[in-house]
Amino acid sequence: MQLRNRAAYGFLAPYLMIFAAFWIWPIISSFLMSFQNTRVNPWVFSFGANWGRLFNDPAFYNALKNTMIILIIQVPVMITLATVMAVLLNSPLLRARGLFRFAFFAPIVVGEVAYAAVFRLMFNLDFGVINKLLNSVGIASISWFADAPAAMALLIIAVTWRWAGYNAILILAGLQSIPGDVYEAATLDRVGKARQFIYITLPLLKPIILFCVILSIIGSMQLFTEPFLITNRGGPGGGTETLGLFLYRQGFTSLNFGYASAIAYTMAALAILISLLNLWVGRDEK
Amino acid sequence: MSFKFLGATALVAALGMGSATALAQPTEITIWSWDIAASSLKASLEGFNKQFPDIKVNVQDLGNHQVFDKTLAACAAGGDGLPDVVTIENYKAEIFWNRFPDCFANLKDLGYTSEIQAKFPDFKRTELEAGDVPYAMPWDSGPVAVFYRRDYYEKAGVDPKSITTWDDFIAAGKKIAAANPSVVMAQADFNGDSEWFRMISNEQGCGFFSADGQTIAINQPACIATLEKIKQMKDAGTLTAANWDEKVQANTAGTVASQLYGGWYEGTIRTNSPKLAGKWGVYLMPSLAPNGAHAANVGGSSLAISNGSQNKKAAWTYLNYVLGTDEGQITMLKSFGLVPSLLSAEKQPFVSEPQSYWGGQAIWADILGTLPKVVASRGTAFQGDADGIYKATQTKYFAGGYPNAKAALDDAANQIASATGLPIAQ
Repeated sequence: MQLRNRAAYGFLAPYLMIFAAFWIWPIISSFLMSFQNTRVNPWVFSFGANWGRLFNDPAFYNALKNTMIILIIQVPVMITLATVMAVLLNSPLLRARGLFRFAFFAPIVVGEVAYAAVFRLMFNLDFGVINKLLNSVGIASISWFADAPAAMALLIIAVTWRWAGYNAILILAGLQSIPGDVYEAATLDRVGKARQFIYITLPLLKPIILFCVILSIIGSMQLFTEPFLITNRGGPGGGTETLGLFLYRQGFTSLNFGYASAIAYTMAALAILISLLNLWVGRDEK
Repeated sequence: MSFKFLGATALVAALGMGSATALAQPTEITIWSWDIAASSLKASLEGFNKQFPDIKVNVQDLGNHQVFDKTLAACAAGGDGLPDVVTIENYKAEIFWNRFPDCFANLKDLGYTSEIQAKFPDFKRTELEAGDVPYAMPWDSGPVAVFYRRDYYEKAGVDPKSITTWDDFIAAGKKIAAANPSVVMAQADFNGDSEWFRMISNEQGCGFFSADGQTIAINQPACIATLEKIKQMKDAGTLTAANWDEKVQANTAGTVASQLYGGWYEGTIRTNSPKLAGKWGVYLMPSLAPNGAHAANVGGSSLAISNGSQNKKAAWTYLNYVLGTDEGQITMLKSFGLVPSLLSAEKQPFVSEPQSYWGGQAIWADILGTLPKVVASRGTAFQGDADGIYKATQTKYFAGGYPNAKAALDDAANQIASATGLPIAQ
């Protein structure tokens, strides 16, 4: 090794040591743990204890299914909503634009624990304002926390409420970077507003929308706080248990670190797979 | 320095009940607990500090889930960050001794003699002792009873004494709901808990696991009958879903006529709904058959001392006062309704006194009278797995995902077997 390289590595050493201790080692350690039966003292090597169990475990498929439902329903709904919000925010007809921008962005500023508590109150079966509103238009009260599909709907509503505005602001930035003369030319060619939106706005927004979709997918894969706090640890009976919650329950309620590690590796593999899929879908066609 | 410190506190303990503790340096111990359990510990401090003015006890109310999660995380980290004393629920206790045998102190080394152990019932001690090592001292038990609104029952012409079976309970529920608009008969936490199943199955002598903790018992006939009855009650509108907080809200708002819980729920009702004094009463839990059992236990906790504590002797002094004396236990029963598991405390005069909040009923005599009939049930180290699987099964069964309760619990038993490696009882 050359002298100057040695000096460089010397300066890097503090970082590298921390990286090795707090990143590399846990990654290796949890990989090894996933092949051990961690429910006996001391731990013993056993392939079937975790990996064998994982692919036969209905609770794992349930968590996977719930995560996928959120991915497939919540992300498109939220991105569509965010795009509409961004276009409205960008409208020259809009007054008090600053206020609206802040209002859409505000949910992000609210702490997760606080908004979870408010949602729990609003959707309370007997006293919640949502059921009161439903009753006033003749719809029977919905048991938001005890009925699995209703709890899932509630979760999707909550996550969408919190993150739609954030995405709208990102998309708004994209909208404002589209030069006005493109629209001017289209207007001169008598292209209607709706067609302008489909043939000009959307294609030019594609990179930013793709970025929002990737961020949202990563967020959904890691979804933990909302099902933990709003639907009471993935209730009812696992009805809103996501992969993140399932991992947590195995690791820290059942104290099965080996199984939790196997789940973590499966989640990582899944995230890589979905990211690759995203890149492939969003590639530039030559 | 810490050696000298320990010596001083050991002296305090050696002096026992005496009050000559002026020699000791002031010692502070910290306790993690939750809700009324934390409140009742605080209530015990006045009496404790009269005898031991030099031990300052700092009770932290973190909430039930938080205490469990933080304690597990701390034990997994080798005991770092634990307070001196931790509150541990009996049915979750074995996971700690099983996985972290060094996280908590062996109370025998601190003065928990076999004479003191014998002051507590066996069913409370089994889960707290691994082999011959006692890791925690029994605190309260949870003999189950129905807490009910006298006025709502009266308005519907229902005599609680006539309710001996769960079918009677369903029939009474229909009358009560008809006579009291917008009042539900009872509530169960179908979202996040399994408390009704655990209570009724225990009454029927069944449970997630067999009494020795070696086999899975959840698909035994008594458990199947329990699940069937719970679904009947849900379908009949007798039971509606509500979690802990929603139950408390409903109690105070007067939208519920009865709650089924362990004796410790007395303090929750009394302290959260003080304006309803005189309107609540208690009766024994109904059974599945007219001549069936009427006793079960749910909940109940213990206190354990962390191995890393610098003040183990002082912590033990407090445990022995608050859990091991009639004075400590009766203070907690009086203030927050925590049912003592200390056998001698049950003979104290307070237990047979009429309680004004409860319409003059001597509720503690009624509730404590069921204790000798309680069948022991084991949480085991796999409680978390079994409970999670049961709740998912229950939700699916309610939604019509299984043809019958037997199929549901057979499936649950198979899942618990694959998660734990334990055999299913024949």
